[in-house]
Amino acid sequence: MKIFKEINHYIQVYGKFASTSISEATSFRTSFILMIFMDIFFNLSSLFTISIIFDHVSLVGDWNKDQLLFFTSFMLVVDCFHMLFLSHGFWRFSDDLKTGNLDYTLLRPVSSIFTVFFRYFKPSSIPDFFLTVGLIIYFGMKINLGLWQWIAIPFLVLLSFTLLALIEFIISCAMFWLVEGLGVNFLRMQLQSMSRMPDFIYNQFMKRVLTFCIPILLVGSGPVQFIFDPSKWIYLVYMLGGIIFCYYFLIFIWNRGLNHYDSASS
Amino acid sequence: MKNNLLKWYQTILISWKKNTAYRLNFLLQIIGPALVFFFIKYSLWNTIFSKNPGVKIGGYTFAAMITYHIWSFIVSLIAQGHTALNLSMDIRMGRISSYLIYPFNFWEFHTASFIGFQLLQFVVASISLLIFSLLGILPEFTWTNLVLGMTCSFYVSLFWYTLQYLTGIIAFWLEETWILRVILQIVTVFLSGAVIPLELFPAWAVKILEYTPFPYLTYYPIKIFSGAPVDLTNFFTIVTGWMIILILANSFIWKRGMRLYTAAGM
Repeated sequence: MKIFKEINHYIQVYGKFASTSISEATSFRTSFILMIFMDIFFNLSSLFTISIIFDHVSLVGDWNKDQLLFFTSFMLVVDCFHMLFLSHGFWRFSDDLKTGNLDYTLLRPVSSIFTVFFRYFKPSSIPDFFLTVGLIIYFGMKINLGLWQWIAIPFLVLLSFTLLALIEFIISCAMFWLVEGLGVNFLRMQLQSMSRMPDFIYNQFMKRVLTFCIPILLVGSGPVQFIFDPSKWIYLVYMLGGIIFCYYFLIFIWNRGLNHYDSASS
Repeated sequence: MKNNLLKWYQTILISWKKNTAYRLNFLLQIIGPALVFFFIKYSLWNTIFSKNPGVKIGGYTFAAMITYHIWSFIVSLIAQGHTALNLSMDIRMGRISSYLIYPFNFWEFHTASFIGFQLLQFVVASISLLIFSLLGILPEFTWTNLVLGMTCSFYVSLFWYTLQYLTGIIAFWLEETWILRVILQIVTVFLSGAVIPLELFPAWAVKILEYTPFPYLTYYPIKIFSGAPVDLTNFFTIVTGWMIILILANSFIWKRGMRLYTAAGM
Protein backbone atom coordinates (compact mmCIF):
# COMPACT_ATOMS: atom_id res chain seq x y z
CA MET A 1 0.00 0.00 0.00
CA LYS A 2 2.80 2.38 0.96
CA ILE A 3 4.44 2.03 -2.44
CA PHE A 4 1.21 2.97 -4.26
CA LYS A 5 0.86 6.02 -2.03
CA GLU A 6 4.44 6.96 -2.87
CA ILE A 7 3.86 6.49 -6.63
CA ASN A 8 0.71 8.59 -6.43
CA HIS A 9 2.64 11.31 -4.62
CA TYR A 10 5.32 11.36 -7.36
CA ILE A 11 2.68 11.43 -10.12
CA GLN A 12 1.06 14.45 -8.45
CA VAL A 13 4.41 16.21 -8.13
CA TYR A 14 5.22 15.45 -11.76
CA GLY A 15 1.83 16.83 -12.78
CA LYS A 16 2.79 20.13 -11.16
CA PHE A 17 6.22 20.08 -12.85
CA ALA A 18 4.57 19.50 -16.23
CA SER A 19 1.92 22.15 -15.75
CA THR A 20 4.46 24.86 -14.76
CA SER A 21 6.72 23.82 -17.67
CA ILE A 22 3.81 24.12 -20.12
CA SER A 23 2.88 27.56 -18.78
CA GLU A 24 6.50 28.69 -19.04
CA ALA A 25 7.02 27.27 -22.53
CA THR A 26 3.84 28.67 -24.00
CA SER A 27 4.62 32.16 -22.67
CA PHE A 28 7.37 32.45 -25.28
CA ARG A 29 5.53 31.43 -28.42
CA THR A 30 8.28 32.13 -30.97
CA SER A 31 10.75 29.99 -29.01
CA PHE A 32 8.08 27.31 -28.72
CA ILE A 33 7.52 27.21 -32.50
CA LEU A 34 11.26 27.32 -33.24
CA MET A 35 11.76 24.31 -30.96
CA ILE A 36 9.21 22.37 -32.99
CA PHE A 37 11.15 23.26 -36.16
CA MET A 38 14.42 22.29 -34.48
CA ASP A 39 13.10 18.78 -33.83
CA ILE A 40 11.77 18.50 -37.39
CA PHE A 41 15.09 19.63 -38.92
CA PHE A 42 16.95 17.13 -36.78
CA ASN A 43 14.67 14.26 -37.84
CA LEU A 44 14.86 15.20 -41.50
CA SER A 45 18.65 15.53 -41.51
CA SER A 46 19.00 12.10 -39.84
CA LEU A 47 16.71 10.43 -42.38
CA PHE A 48 18.09 12.23 -45.45
CA THR A 49 21.67 11.34 -44.47
CA ILE A 50 20.80 7.65 -44.60
CA SER A 51 18.70 8.03 -47.71
CA ILE A 52 21.57 9.74 -49.59
CA ILE A 53 24.05 7.04 -48.54
CA PHE A 54 21.68 4.34 -49.84
CA ASP A 55 21.42 6.11 -53.19
CA HIS A 56 24.97 4.81 -53.73
CA VAL A 57 25.13 1.51 -51.83
CA SER A 58 22.67 -1.31 -51.20
CA LEU A 59 23.87 -2.40 -47.75
CA VAL A 60 25.43 -0.87 -44.65
CA GLY A 61 26.82 -3.81 -42.71
CA ASP A 62 24.10 -6.41 -43.19
CA TRP A 63 21.24 -3.93 -43.14
CA ASN A 64 19.37 -2.56 -46.12
CA LYS A 65 17.91 0.93 -46.41
CA ASP A 66 14.56 0.16 -44.77
CA GLN A 67 16.18 -1.64 -41.86
CA LEU A 68 18.55 1.25 -41.17
CA LEU A 69 15.72 3.77 -41.50
CA PHE A 70 13.68 1.70 -39.03
CA PHE A 71 16.64 1.74 -36.63
CA THR A 72 16.92 5.53 -37.03
CA SER A 73 13.19 5.97 -36.45
CA PHE A 74 13.44 3.86 -33.29
CA MET A 75 16.25 6.11 -32.04
CA LEU A 76 14.25 9.21 -32.97
CA VAL A 77 11.37 7.99 -30.79
CA VAL A 78 13.78 7.41 -27.88
CA ASP A 79 15.31 10.85 -28.51
CA CYS A 80 11.84 12.35 -28.52
CA PHE A 81 11.09 10.87 -25.07
CA HIS A 82 14.44 12.20 -23.94
CA MET A 83 13.59 15.68 -25.22
CA LEU A 84 10.11 15.58 -23.68
CA PHE A 85 11.05 14.49 -20.19
CA LEU A 86 14.74 15.08 -19.56
CA SER A 87 16.68 17.33 -21.91
CA HIS A 88 16.21 20.65 -20.06
CA GLY A 89 17.07 19.20 -16.66
CA PHE A 90 20.68 18.39 -17.56
CA TRP A 91 21.47 21.99 -18.60
CA ARG A 92 19.79 23.48 -15.55
CA PHE A 93 21.63 21.05 -13.27
CA SER A 94 25.04 22.53 -14.15
CA ASP A 95 23.66 26.02 -13.42
CA ASP A 96 22.04 24.90 -10.16
CA LEU A 97 25.33 23.45 -8.95
CA LYS A 98 27.19 26.69 -9.73
CA THR A 99 24.60 29.03 -8.24
CA GLY A 100 23.70 26.93 -5.21
CA ASN A 101 20.08 26.50 -6.33
CA LEU A 102 20.45 22.78 -5.75
CA ASP A 103 19.96 23.56 -2.03
CA TYR A 104 16.24 24.12 -2.60
CA THR A 105 15.95 20.79 -4.40
CA LEU A 106 17.63 18.96 -1.55
CA LEU A 107 15.18 20.42 0.96
CA ARG A 108 12.10 19.06 -0.84
CA PRO A 109 10.44 15.85 0.43
CA VAL A 110 10.95 14.02 -2.89
CA SER A 111 13.95 12.25 -4.37
CA SER A 112 16.57 14.81 -5.42
CA ILE A 113 17.41 12.78 -8.54
CA PHE A 114 13.75 12.92 -9.58
CA THR A 115 13.50 16.67 -9.00
CA VAL A 116 16.79 17.53 -10.71
CA PHE A 117 16.25 15.54 -13.90
CA PHE A 118 12.45 15.43 -14.28
CA ARG A 119 11.75 19.00 -13.22
CA TYR A 120 11.36 20.34 -16.79
CA PHE A 121 8.90 18.95 -19.29
CA LYS A 122 9.31 20.13 -22.91
CA PRO A 123 5.85 20.45 -24.49
CA SER A 124 7.27 21.64 -27.81
CA SER A 125 8.38 18.05 -28.43
CA ILE A 126 4.80 16.74 -28.41
CA PRO A 127 4.37 17.26 -32.20
CA ASP A 128 7.71 15.49 -32.65
CA PHE A 129 6.30 12.53 -30.73
CA PHE A 130 3.53 12.05 -33.30
CA LEU A 131 5.98 12.54 -36.15
CA THR A 132 8.50 9.98 -34.87
CA VAL A 133 5.80 7.46 -33.98
CA GLY A 134 4.47 7.88 -37.52
CA LEU A 135 7.96 7.24 -38.89
CA ILE A 136 8.50 4.08 -36.85
CA ILE A 137 5.11 2.75 -37.98
CA TYR A 138 5.87 3.58 -41.63
CA PHE A 139 9.31 1.95 -41.66
CA GLY A 140 8.06 -0.94 -39.49
CA MET A 141 5.45 -1.67 -42.16
CA LYS A 142 8.10 -1.46 -44.88
CA ILE A 143 10.13 -4.22 -43.21
CA ASN A 144 6.99 -6.31 -42.57
CA LEU A 145 7.12 -6.56 -38.79
CA GLY A 146 4.97 -9.29 -37.23
CA LEU A 147 2.37 -8.88 -34.47
CA TRP A 148 4.70 -9.74 -31.58
CA GLN A 149 7.24 -7.23 -32.89
CA TRP A 150 4.64 -4.44 -32.97
CA ILE A 151 3.59 -5.32 -29.42
CA ALA A 152 7.21 -5.39 -28.26
CA ILE A 153 8.16 -1.99 -29.69
CA PRO A 154 6.55 0.23 -26.96
CA PHE A 155 8.16 -1.86 -24.20
CA LEU A 156 11.54 -1.80 -25.96
CA VAL A 157 11.34 1.99 -26.42
CA LEU A 158 10.63 2.31 -22.70
CA LEU A 159 13.55 0.02 -21.88
CA SER A 160 15.88 2.00 -24.15
CA PHE A 161 14.75 5.30 -22.71
CA THR A 162 15.32 4.02 -19.16
CA LEU A 163 18.84 2.84 -19.99
CA LEU A 164 19.71 6.08 -21.80
CA ALA A 165 18.38 8.16 -18.92
CA LEU A 166 20.34 6.21 -16.30
CA ILE A 167 23.59 6.44 -18.29
CA GLU A 168 23.13 10.19 -18.72
CA PHE A 169 22.26 10.72 -15.03
CA ILE A 170 25.50 8.93 -14.09
CA ILE A 171 27.56 11.03 -16.52
CA SER A 172 25.94 14.22 -15.21
CA CYS A 173 27.10 13.34 -11.69
CA ALA A 174 30.60 14.29 -12.87
CA MET A 175 29.40 17.90 -12.57
CA PHE A 176 29.62 17.60 -8.77
CA TRP A 177 33.39 17.41 -9.08
CA LEU A 178 33.86 20.01 -11.82
CA VAL A 179 33.81 23.79 -11.43
CA GLU A 180 32.46 24.23 -14.97
CA GLY A 181 30.04 21.41 -15.78
CA LEU A 182 28.94 22.54 -19.24
CA GLY A 183 31.44 20.25 -20.99
CA VAL A 184 29.88 17.20 -19.33
CA ASN A 185 26.67 17.94 -21.24
CA PHE A 186 28.64 17.89 -24.47
CA LEU A 187 30.14 14.53 -23.51
CA ARG A 188 26.63 13.25 -22.90
CA MET A 189 25.52 14.49 -26.32
CA GLN A 190 28.49 12.81 -28.02
CA LEU A 191 27.54 9.49 -26.45
CA GLN A 192 24.01 10.02 -27.75
CA SER A 193 25.40 10.58 -31.26
CA MET A 194 27.32 7.31 -31.05
CA SER A 195 24.19 5.44 -30.01
CA ARG A 196 22.37 6.72 -33.12
CA MET A 197 24.48 4.42 -35.29
CA PRO A 198 24.13 0.62 -35.24
CA ASP A 199 26.74 -1.15 -33.11
CA PHE A 200 28.22 -3.13 -36.03
CA ILE A 201 29.84 -0.02 -37.52
CA TYR A 202 32.28 0.23 -34.59
CA ASN A 203 35.40 -1.88 -34.25
CA GLN A 204 35.39 -4.79 -31.78
CA PHE A 205 37.19 -2.90 -29.02
CA MET A 206 34.92 0.16 -29.13
CA LYS A 207 31.87 -2.05 -29.47
CA ARG A 208 32.80 -3.92 -26.29
CA VAL A 209 33.60 -0.72 -24.37
CA LEU A 210 30.35 0.95 -25.49
CA THR A 211 28.29 -2.17 -24.79
CA PHE A 212 29.66 -3.35 -21.47
CA CYS A 213 31.50 -0.42 -19.83
CA ILE A 214 29.29 2.48 -20.93
CA PRO A 215 26.35 0.54 -22.41
CA ILE A 216 25.27 3.34 -24.74
CA LEU A 217 25.18 1.12 -27.85
CA LEU A 218 22.58 -1.10 -26.19
CA VAL A 219 20.12 1.81 -26.24
CA GLY A 220 19.37 1.48 -29.96
CA SER A 221 21.15 -1.56 -31.27
CA GLY A 222 20.02 -3.88 -28.46
CA PRO A 223 16.24 -3.70 -29.04
CA VAL A 224 16.42 -3.31 -32.84
CA GLN A 225 18.74 -6.32 -33.24
CA PHE A 226 16.24 -8.28 -31.14
CA ILE A 227 13.29 -7.10 -33.27
CA PHE A 228 15.08 -8.14 -36.47
CA ASP A 229 16.25 -11.46 -35.08
CA PRO A 230 14.63 -12.84 -31.87
CA SER A 231 17.52 -15.30 -31.46
CA LYS A 232 19.52 -12.25 -30.36
CA TRP A 233 17.54 -12.11 -27.09
CA ILE A 234 20.84 -11.87 -25.23
CA TYR A 235 20.80 -8.13 -26.06
CA LEU A 236 17.71 -7.75 -23.85
CA VAL A 237 19.47 -9.55 -21.02
CA TYR A 238 22.40 -7.14 -21.42
CA MET A 239 19.97 -4.21 -21.37
CA LEU A 240 18.21 -5.39 -18.21
CA GLY A 241 21.58 -6.08 -16.59
CA GLY A 242 22.76 -2.64 -17.66
CA ILE A 243 19.67 -0.96 -16.21
CA ILE A 244 20.00 -2.73 -12.85
CA PHE A 245 23.73 -1.99 -12.63
CA CYS A 246 23.31 1.64 -13.72
CA TYR A 247 20.50 2.19 -11.21
CA TYR A 248 22.56 1.07 -8.21
CA PHE A 249 25.66 2.82 -9.50
CA LEU A 250 23.66 6.04 -9.93
CA ILE A 251 22.43 5.90 -6.31
CA PHE A 252 26.02 5.34 -5.14
CA ILE A 253 27.61 8.08 -7.27
CA TRP A 254 24.77 10.55 -6.59
CA ASN A 255 25.23 10.18 -2.82
CA ARG A 256 29.00 10.58 -3.21
CA GLY A 257 28.35 13.68 -5.28
CA LEU A 258 26.02 15.15 -2.67
CA ASN A 259 28.64 14.56 -0.01
CA HIS A 260 31.11 16.46 -2.16
CA TYR A 261 28.65 19.26 -2.99
CA ASP A 262 29.54 22.56 -1.42
CA SER A 263 26.69 25.03 -1.77
CA ALA A 264 27.62 28.26 -3.52
CA SER A 265 24.80 30.16 -1.84
CA SER A 266 25.44 29.33 1.81
CA MET B 1 45.25 54.15 -32.40
CA LYS B 2 47.88 52.54 -30.16
CA ASN B 3 45.52 52.66 -27.18
CA ASN B 4 42.79 51.02 -29.22
CA LEU B 5 45.12 48.22 -30.35
CA LEU B 6 46.09 47.65 -26.73
CA LYS B 7 42.41 47.17 -25.84
CA TRP B 8 42.04 44.62 -28.64
CA TYR B 9 45.21 42.82 -27.51
CA GLN B 10 44.09 42.68 -23.87
CA THR B 11 40.60 41.39 -24.83
CA ILE B 12 42.13 38.68 -27.02
CA LEU B 13 44.37 37.71 -24.11
CA ILE B 14 41.39 37.58 -21.70
CA SER B 15 39.43 35.46 -24.18
CA TRP B 16 42.36 33.02 -24.47
CA LYS B 17 42.63 32.80 -20.67
CA LYS B 18 38.88 32.34 -20.21
CA ASN B 19 38.78 29.53 -22.74
CA THR B 20 41.75 27.71 -21.26
CA ALA B 21 40.83 28.26 -17.60
CA TYR B 22 38.79 25.06 -17.46
CA ARG B 23 40.84 22.74 -19.65
CA LEU B 24 38.69 19.63 -19.25
CA ASN B 25 35.64 21.68 -20.13
CA PHE B 26 37.38 23.04 -23.23
CA LEU B 27 38.35 19.52 -24.25
CA LEU B 28 34.80 18.22 -23.80
CA GLN B 29 33.05 21.21 -25.32
CA ILE B 30 35.24 22.09 -28.29
CA ILE B 31 37.61 19.25 -29.19
CA GLY B 32 35.48 16.28 -28.02
CA PRO B 33 32.51 16.81 -30.36
CA ALA B 34 34.76 17.20 -33.43
CA LEU B 35 36.73 14.07 -32.49
CA VAL B 36 33.63 11.94 -31.84
CA PHE B 37 32.02 13.21 -35.06
CA PHE B 38 35.14 12.18 -36.98
CA PHE B 39 35.22 8.77 -35.27
CA ILE B 40 31.55 8.07 -36.12
CA LYS B 41 32.09 9.08 -39.77
CA TYR B 42 35.25 6.96 -39.99
CA SER B 43 33.43 3.92 -38.56
CA LEU B 44 30.42 4.39 -40.82
CA TRP B 45 32.39 4.76 -44.06
CA ASN B 46 34.71 1.92 -43.02
CA THR B 47 31.66 -0.36 -42.68
CA ILE B 48 30.21 0.81 -45.99
CA PHE B 49 33.44 0.33 -47.94
CA SER B 50 34.24 -3.02 -46.30
CA LYS B 51 30.96 -4.37 -47.75
CA ASN B 52 31.81 -2.92 -51.14
CA PRO B 53 35.62 -3.31 -51.39
CA GLY B 54 37.40 -1.44 -54.15
CA VAL B 55 34.25 0.38 -55.19
CA LYS B 56 34.10 4.15 -55.71
CA ILE B 57 31.19 5.95 -54.09
CA GLY B 58 30.47 9.29 -55.71
CA GLY B 59 34.02 9.17 -57.06
CA TYR B 60 35.52 8.50 -53.61
CA THR B 61 37.60 5.47 -52.66
CA PHE B 62 37.79 4.60 -48.94
CA ALA B 63 41.13 6.42 -48.63
CA ALA B 64 39.74 9.50 -50.42
CA MET B 65 36.67 9.50 -48.17
CA ILE B 66 38.80 9.37 -45.00
CA THR B 67 41.02 12.13 -46.39
CA TYR B 68 37.88 14.19 -46.97
CA HIS B 69 36.78 13.69 -43.36
CA ILE B 70 40.21 14.43 -41.88
CA TRP B 71 40.16 17.81 -43.63
CA SER B 72 36.52 18.20 -42.58
CA PHE B 73 37.68 17.76 -38.96
CA ILE B 74 40.27 20.54 -39.39
CA VAL B 75 37.78 22.84 -41.15
CA SER B 76 35.16 22.31 -38.43
CA LEU B 77 37.72 23.30 -35.78
CA ILE B 78 38.84 26.47 -37.52
CA ALA B 79 35.78 27.59 -39.45
CA GLN B 80 32.80 26.72 -37.27
CA GLY B 81 33.94 26.51 -33.67
CA HIS B 82 32.53 29.78 -32.41
CA THR B 83 29.11 30.16 -30.79
CA ALA B 84 27.23 33.32 -29.83
CA LEU B 85 26.39 32.07 -26.33
CA ASN B 86 28.10 34.93 -24.43
CA LEU B 87 26.75 37.49 -26.84
CA SER B 88 23.09 36.62 -26.29
CA MET B 89 23.66 36.22 -22.53
CA ASP B 90 25.04 39.77 -22.41
CA ILE B 91 21.84 41.06 -24.01
CA ARG B 92 19.46 38.94 -21.96
CA MET B 93 21.13 39.74 -18.65
CA GLY B 94 21.31 43.45 -19.43
CA ARG B 95 25.10 43.41 -19.39
CA ILE B 96 25.40 45.43 -22.60
CA SER B 97 24.73 48.58 -20.55
CA SER B 98 28.43 48.49 -19.63
CA TYR B 99 29.48 48.46 -23.28
CA LEU B 100 27.37 51.55 -23.93
CA ILE B 101 29.55 53.44 -21.46
CA TYR B 102 32.97 51.78 -22.05
CA PRO B 103 35.29 53.18 -24.74
CA PHE B 104 35.33 49.68 -26.25
CA ASN B 105 31.99 48.82 -27.71
CA PHE B 106 29.97 45.59 -27.80
CA TRP B 107 31.00 44.69 -31.35
CA GLU B 108 34.71 45.30 -30.68
CA PHE B 109 34.67 43.28 -27.45
CA HIS B 110 33.00 40.24 -28.97
CA THR B 111 35.08 40.36 -32.16
CA ALA B 112 38.28 40.52 -30.12
CA SER B 113 37.04 37.59 -27.99
CA PHE B 114 36.30 35.71 -31.19
CA ILE B 115 39.86 36.33 -32.46
CA GLY B 116 41.21 35.00 -29.15
CA PHE B 117 39.08 31.88 -29.54
CA GLN B 118 40.20 31.46 -33.16
CA LEU B 119 43.88 31.62 -32.19
CA LEU B 120 43.25 28.84 -29.72
CA GLN B 121 41.41 26.83 -32.38
CA PHE B 122 44.38 27.32 -34.73
CA VAL B 123 46.70 25.83 -32.08
CA VAL B 124 44.29 22.89 -31.56
CA ALA B 125 44.05 22.31 -35.33
CA SER B 126 47.86 22.40 -35.67
CA ILE B 127 48.28 19.90 -32.83
CA SER B 128 45.62 17.69 -34.46
CA LEU B 129 47.52 17.76 -37.75
CA LEU B 130 50.68 16.78 -35.89
CA ILE B 131 48.89 13.88 -34.17
CA PHE B 132 47.41 12.71 -37.50
CA SER B 133 50.91 12.88 -38.95
CA LEU B 134 52.38 10.82 -36.07
CA LEU B 135 49.59 8.26 -36.49
CA GLY B 136 50.44 8.09 -40.18
CA ILE B 137 46.92 9.01 -41.33
CA LEU B 138 47.61 12.59 -42.38
CA PRO B 139 46.66 12.90 -46.04
CA GLU B 140 49.30 14.01 -48.52
CA PHE B 141 49.36 17.76 -48.87
CA THR B 142 51.43 20.60 -50.23
CA TRP B 143 52.39 23.53 -48.01
CA THR B 144 50.72 25.88 -50.47
CA ASN B 145 47.41 24.04 -50.15
CA LEU B 146 47.75 23.86 -46.37
CA VAL B 147 48.33 27.62 -46.05
CA LEU B 148 45.58 28.34 -48.57
CA GLY B 149 43.17 25.97 -46.81
CA MET B 150 43.91 27.55 -43.42
CA THR B 151 43.44 31.05 -44.89
CA CYS B 152 40.12 30.10 -46.48
CA SER B 153 38.96 28.41 -43.26
CA PHE B 154 39.80 31.56 -41.28
CA TYR B 155 37.88 33.61 -43.82
CA VAL B 156 34.91 31.27 -43.50
CA SER B 157 35.18 31.57 -39.70
CA LEU B 158 34.64 35.33 -40.10
CA PHE B 159 31.49 34.59 -42.06
CA TRP B 160 30.41 32.06 -39.41
CA TYR B 161 31.07 34.68 -36.73
CA THR B 162 28.84 37.26 -38.46
CA LEU B 163 26.12 34.61 -38.76
CA GLN B 164 26.49 33.68 -35.10
CA TYR B 165 26.47 37.38 -34.22
CA LEU B 166 23.12 37.67 -35.97
CA THR B 167 21.64 34.77 -33.97
CA GLY B 168 23.09 36.31 -30.80
CA ILE B 169 21.60 39.79 -31.18
CA ILE B 170 18.19 38.35 -31.91
CA ALA B 171 18.19 37.99 -28.09
CA PHE B 172 16.68 41.51 -28.11
CA TRP B 173 13.43 39.84 -29.20
CA LEU B 174 13.87 36.16 -28.45
CA GLU B 175 14.12 34.66 -24.97
CA GLU B 176 16.02 31.54 -26.05
CA THR B 177 18.51 32.12 -28.89
CA TRP B 178 20.18 28.73 -28.40
CA ILE B 179 17.37 27.22 -30.47
CA LEU B 180 18.41 29.27 -33.51
CA ARG B 181 22.03 28.25 -32.99
CA VAL B 182 21.10 24.57 -32.82
CA ILE B 183 18.91 24.83 -35.95
CA LEU B 184 21.77 26.57 -37.75
CA GLN B 185 24.19 23.87 -36.59
CA ILE B 186 21.92 21.00 -37.72
CA VAL B 187 21.25 22.55 -41.13
CA THR B 188 24.89 23.53 -41.67
CA VAL B 189 26.33 20.15 -40.73
CA PHE B 190 23.98 18.43 -43.16
CA LEU B 191 24.04 20.86 -46.10
CA SER B 192 27.68 21.93 -45.99
CA GLY B 193 28.98 18.46 -46.79
CA ALA B 194 30.37 17.80 -43.31
CA VAL B 195 28.75 14.35 -43.09
CA ILE B 196 28.39 13.42 -46.75
CA PRO B 197 30.46 14.98 -49.57
CA LEU B 198 28.27 17.02 -51.90
CA GLU B 199 29.14 14.70 -54.84
CA LEU B 200 26.85 12.14 -53.20
CA PHE B 201 23.87 14.53 -53.01
CA PRO B 202 21.30 14.42 -55.82
CA ALA B 203 22.31 16.76 -58.70
CA TRP B 204 19.23 18.99 -58.24
CA ALA B 205 20.07 19.50 -54.55
CA VAL B 206 23.67 20.48 -55.36
CA LYS B 207 22.40 23.02 -57.91
CA ILE B 208 20.19 24.63 -55.27
CA LEU B 209 22.96 24.53 -52.66
CA GLU B 210 25.28 26.46 -54.99
CA TYR B 211 23.03 29.49 -54.44
CA THR B 212 23.39 29.21 -50.64
CA PRO B 213 26.43 29.81 -48.41
CA PHE B 214 26.44 26.22 -47.07
CA PRO B 215 28.94 24.55 -49.44
CA TYR B 216 31.41 27.37 -48.70
CA LEU B 217 31.36 26.52 -45.00
CA THR B 218 32.88 23.04 -45.24
CA TYR B 219 32.92 21.50 -48.72
CA TYR B 220 35.03 24.09 -50.56
CA PRO B 221 37.60 24.59 -47.76
CA ILE B 222 38.07 20.78 -47.74
CA LYS B 223 38.59 20.78 -51.50
CA ILE B 224 41.18 23.57 -51.14
CA PHE B 225 43.06 21.61 -48.45
CA SER B 226 43.08 18.49 -50.62
CA GLY B 227 44.37 20.40 -53.64
CA ALA B 228 41.28 19.98 -55.84
CA PRO B 229 40.73 22.79 -58.35
CA VAL B 230 38.57 25.48 -56.75
CA ASP B 231 37.87 28.88 -58.28
CA LEU B 232 39.29 31.00 -55.45
CA THR B 233 38.04 34.29 -56.88
CA ASN B 234 34.53 32.88 -56.92
CA PHE B 235 34.99 31.47 -53.40
CA PHE B 236 36.14 34.76 -51.87
CA THR B 237 33.58 36.81 -53.83
CA ILE B 238 30.64 34.68 -52.68
CA VAL B 239 31.75 34.45 -49.04
CA THR B 240 32.41 38.21 -48.99
CA GLY B 241 29.01 38.87 -50.57
CA TRP B 242 27.21 36.84 -47.91
CA MET B 243 29.30 38.49 -45.21
CA ILE B 244 28.34 41.99 -46.41
CA ILE B 245 24.66 41.02 -46.38
CA LEU B 246 25.00 39.70 -42.83
CA ILE B 247 26.96 42.74 -41.60
CA LEU B 248 24.23 45.02 -42.94
CA ALA B 249 21.57 42.83 -41.32
CA ASN B 250 23.49 42.85 -38.02
CA SER B 251 23.82 46.61 -38.08
CA PHE B 252 20.10 47.04 -38.81
CA ILE B 253 19.05 44.57 -36.12
CA TRP B 254 21.40 46.12 -33.56
CA LYS B 255 19.90 49.58 -34.14
CA ARG B 256 16.33 48.26 -33.89
CA GLY B 257 17.25 46.13 -30.87
CA MET B 258 18.76 49.07 -29.00
CA ARG B 259 15.39 50.83 -29.21
CA LEU B 260 13.86 47.90 -27.35
CA TYR B 261 16.66 47.43 -24.85
CA THR B 262 15.47 47.85 -21.25
CA ALA B 263 18.74 47.12 -19.38
CA ALA B 264 17.32 44.29 -17.27
CA GLY B 265 18.66 44.30 -13.73
CA MET B 266 19.82 47.94 -13.78
